[in-house]
This record gives sequence, C-alpha cells and structure tokens, in this order.
Amino acid sequence: MARLEAKTDVTGSVWKIVTTVGQQLAPGDTVMLIESMKMEIPVVAEEGGRIVEFRYAEGESITEGEVVAILEG
Amino acid sequence: MKEQAPGTARRAEAAELALRRAEAEKLGGAESVGRHHEQGRLTIRERIAGLVDTGSFQEVGKLTGQGRYTEGALTGVAPAPYVMGLASIAARPVAVGGEDFTVRGGISWSGERKKGGQGGFVEDLAHQYRIPLVNLIDGAGGSVTSIQRRGYSVFPGVHGFERSVELMGEVPVVCAVLGTAAGGPAGRAILSHWSVMVKNTSQVFAAGPPVVERSLGQKLTKEELGGPAIAVDTAGTIDNAAATEAQCFAMIRRYLSYMPQNVWELPPVADCGDPMDRCDDALLGIVPESRRQPYDMRKLIRLVVDRDSMFEIQPTYGKAVITCLSRMNGKVVGVIANDPKVYGGAMDAKAARKQTHFVELCDCFHIPLVFLVDVPGFMVGKDAEAAATLREGMRSVYVGLQATVPMYTVVIRKCYGMAGMGATDKNGLDLKIAWPTAEWGSLPVEGGVAAAFRRDIQAAADPKAREQEIEAELRSLASPFRTAEAFGVEEIIDPRETRPYLCRFIDAAQGRLRTTVGRKPRYGVRP
Repeated sequence: MARLEAKTDVTGSVWKIVTTVGQQLAPGDTVMLIESMKMEIPVVAEEGGRIVEFRYAEGESITEGEVVAILEG
Repeated sequence: MKEQAPGTARRAEAAELALRRAEAEKLGGAESVGRHHEQGRLTIRERIAGLVDTGSFQEVGKLTGQGRYTEGALTGVAPAPYVMGLASIAARPVAVGGEDFTVRGGISWSGERKKGGQGGFVEDLAHQYRIPLVNLIDGAGGSVTSIQRRGYSVFPGVHGFERSVELMGEVPVVCAVLGTAAGGPAGRAILSHWSVMVKNTSQVFAAGPPVVERSLGQKLTKEELGGPAIAVDTAGTIDNAAATEAQCFAMIRRYLSYMPQNVWELPPVADCGDPMDRCDDALLGIVPESRRQPYDMRKLIRLVVDRDSMFEIQPTYGKAVITCLSRMNGKVVGVIANDPKVYGGAMDAKAARKQTHFVELCDCFHIPLVFLVDVPGFMVGKDAEAAATLREGMRSVYVGLQATVPMYTVVIRKCYGMAGMGATDKNGLDLKIAWPTAEWGSLPVEGGVAAAFRRDIQAAADPKAREQEIEAELRSLASPFRTAEAFGVEEIIDPRETRPYLCRFIDAAQGRLRTTVGRKPRYGVRP
C-alpha cells in the first residue's frame, strides 16, 4: 500500500469536501474544491486510491503546494 | 594519358587521413565512452546521428585535436572535445554541434579557430547560411586548471558570444542540455529560442554543488540544484523536459518543423489533412454553466487547431497561461490560452514572463498569434505583488503592443483589465471575436461593486442584498451581444465556428506575412 498525497495547485480556501474518509477514488477523481480567485478549483487524486485523512476542513485557508488529503493506493 | 596507380607518398597521405579520421571517431577512447554510456548518456556522435536525417551529417573540423608523434610519425590523435558540421533535419539544412564529454569532460579546447560552443565555426555557419543552429550541450565550462596551462587568467567572456546574440534575431536557435551544464555552456543554453533538457541525466546551473557549498554552506545534489524540477518547472530556465535523449531529439525535430529557416522566410506550410471548415460539436458544451467552474483549455485548443498539431512550449512553468505552436489549415500559428484551472487563468509573474517570450518568438519568425482568452486579470495578493506581477504583466503587454505579426483574439469567457488588453492586436487589425459565454470590462463585476458603490451599499437596510442587486443589474448590461451591437467586439460566433473563422483570416494574412519578412527591430526600453 503506497501512501499518496493530494496537493493543491492554488492558494485559497477549502470550498467543499466532496468525498469522505474511506472512499475509493479512481485516477483523476476530485477530492475537494478549493476556492481561489472566485473559482472552484478541484484537487484531484492523480493516481486514485482510498482516502485516509483530510488535512483541512471546509473554510480553512491553504497555500499552493500544500498536502490537503492523504490517500492509500 | 594512362592513369597511374598512386605512388608511395599519395598512399601514405591517404593512410594518415584514414588514421586521423579513425582517431576522431574514437572520441575520448573506449574506456571513457564506456563510462559515459554507463551514466545513461549517448556520445556526441550518437547524438548527432539520432537527431539529423540519416546519413546527412557532413562533419567539419574532424581532424582537430592534439596529435601524438613518435620521431615525427603520427601514432594517434586526442580529438578536440567538440564535434560539429552541416546536416539536414526533414531535408532542410541545419548547423549542429556539441561538446564531446568523453574528452576531458567537454572542457574548452583552444585551436586557431573555435569550432563551436559559444560562437565558433558552427555559429558562423548558421549566420552566414541563414540556417537553424542546434547546440547539443554537455560541458562544464571553464576550469581553473587553464590558468596553469596558459600561465595567466583569461578575462571573462569569449569572442563568439556576440555571434550567439546576433543569431537570436536571424535563425532558429535550439539548445539541448544533455549532461551537467555550468558556467559558459549553461549560459549558452539560455541564449536560444527554445531549450530542452533530459530528465535524470541533465542539470543546468550557474555553478555546481562544490561552489554552492563553499559559497553558501548549502549541501545540495546536482539534481536538487539544477534538475528539471528547478530548471524547467520552477525557474523556466529551460523550456521543456524530455524523458530520454531519443525523445529529446524527436522534440527538437518537431520544434524545427514549425520554424522557418531564418527570419527572411516564412515557416513551412504542411498539408494538415484536417478540413478547415471542421466544426466540432464538443466545443459547444466545453464552457461550464457555472462561471465558477474551470474547464479543460488544452482540450479546447486541440478541438480548434489542425489535428495533432499542438506542440506545447513550457508546459510545466507559468501554468496560468498555455503557449503552444500549432497549425491552422496547415499554416503555423502560436496559440496563447489562459488556463482557468490555474488561479482562474489570472496572469501571475511567471505566466507573464512565459507569454512575453512566446510573443517575441512568434513575432520574430512571422508566426501569427491566436489568443484564446479567459483571464480575470493580473494575479492579486501579497505574493503576486512581491513577485512583480504588475511589472512582468506590463512587460508582456508592452511586447505584445510592439509585435507586428497578425494576432487574433477569441474571448472564450473572461477578458478583464490589462491582462485582457495584452491579448489584443491594438497595432494591427484588432480582430476580436467572442463566444456567447464571453464577458469583459476593466474588472470583473463582483470585484468592483463593493468599491464603486460603497456609499449606496452602506446606506441600504440590507447591504448584502443591495450589493447583489447592483451586481445583477450590471451583469445584465454586460452581455457580449450588447458590445457587439456597438461594434466594440467585431463578432460573436458559435463556438463551433472558431476554427473556420480563424482559418479564413490566417489564410488571408499570408500575403501580408510574405511581404513583411526580415529582422524585427527592437526600439525602446522594456518596462
């Protein structure tokens, strides 16, 4: 089981977490939406995997490049 | 007269020539070549053979080097650490050369005349014959050991770099970094229209790990300091990264397929086999209903340009803007598109720098520009201000306004502010077409209402509701159709018509392009 990190490409705040812990994602599935520049930018699980934990809750601020969720795949 | 068999002297000369050529083919010797191969790298001769049309390499200066003699008789030659000559790529001549790392690490060799590297014969060849130059760089630059050899230290900079600069306005210059490049060779790599490096086997930096550790106490590997993660993705020092040397050569051939031989010619037209009136239905649904949702701009580009013609420059740097060479009805165009997935397409300093370079590149080689616009403006925030986004952004606007190549503006969604202006052809025809999803202004409505109507909002019983009310009112007036009524935008089109509409104008511009070839003068001071 590899530990995978989902990172945000943009600085902003967590708009909506559209998945739940334990959920299995396919490659390219959206983990959460980040609000940045008045846009909803998706954070995707590039390789897919099962969600282990979220590092941020809705409304919290995040910075470009930060890990927002941990997956197992 | 009867032909005579060659005499002893002639046979001896032929044998010496054969020996000298054979020595040149050996490069730095079997052991050194073996070490080079073990590191996953090709020799300079293998590189040239892998790049150019089969059998097309005509070497120049094959005999250069240092001969070994016993009692006046030649026993062997240590070749000069640079191999170059004339070759063909897609049946068009190019000047090509590169350091031979297997000979003393590719460091400078001094003969009567420089072969290449920075200036030298290979660059004179590109200049005099007006043909592209391909530098296959694998050299570490100067070494302090040369002080011992010469007995004095050389003044920095060599004659030849001025030729390298001159070439930037004359012929396509491609530099590939195929090993560890520091100092002069690293600097030479930057003096190019397009550069590429190979993952895992190439690094580029001003100075390598030993110098960095002594200067700053930082312990870093070559890869950490100048691998593609820094040089390509973070700094944009090098434009593209290739997975292997073979892929790197394929990319160089591809890049040159979009380029004219020099600035006095137009790029080659290719039969695209893709109908110019193709209207792809997928374009209709590509922009989401919600203004807040991004979409796949690369897919949009592929649906508009000639099939399989998209070649992205700097795909991993300054990602808020996408720059790619493509074809429309066979003619080369440069496409500049904002990527709504990256900060909503807002132009940050890196994206601006990338756009500036691409506009200059296309202007230099008479390649029309197509802007696919979805830009909310310059990037905002403290980090963006600290990165001089405003200056980099205005520099890209300035360069765009100086460019004389035809430009076409297609507004897909947002077109705001200075960044929006930078996507137009104010000097030229200024043809701006828009999709029905387009919106524009000096700034987006939602950003401007709170500031412009502050008193009105504060005086209202429910300020939030009043703000939304004003926003809705302004937005209803912001329909692109109303601007089209006033001819403030030249046309609103069905998204599916984008390709035929652009192809018509790009085809029609060919006469203008043919009659305005040549060097592009650069006046003024960039902001």
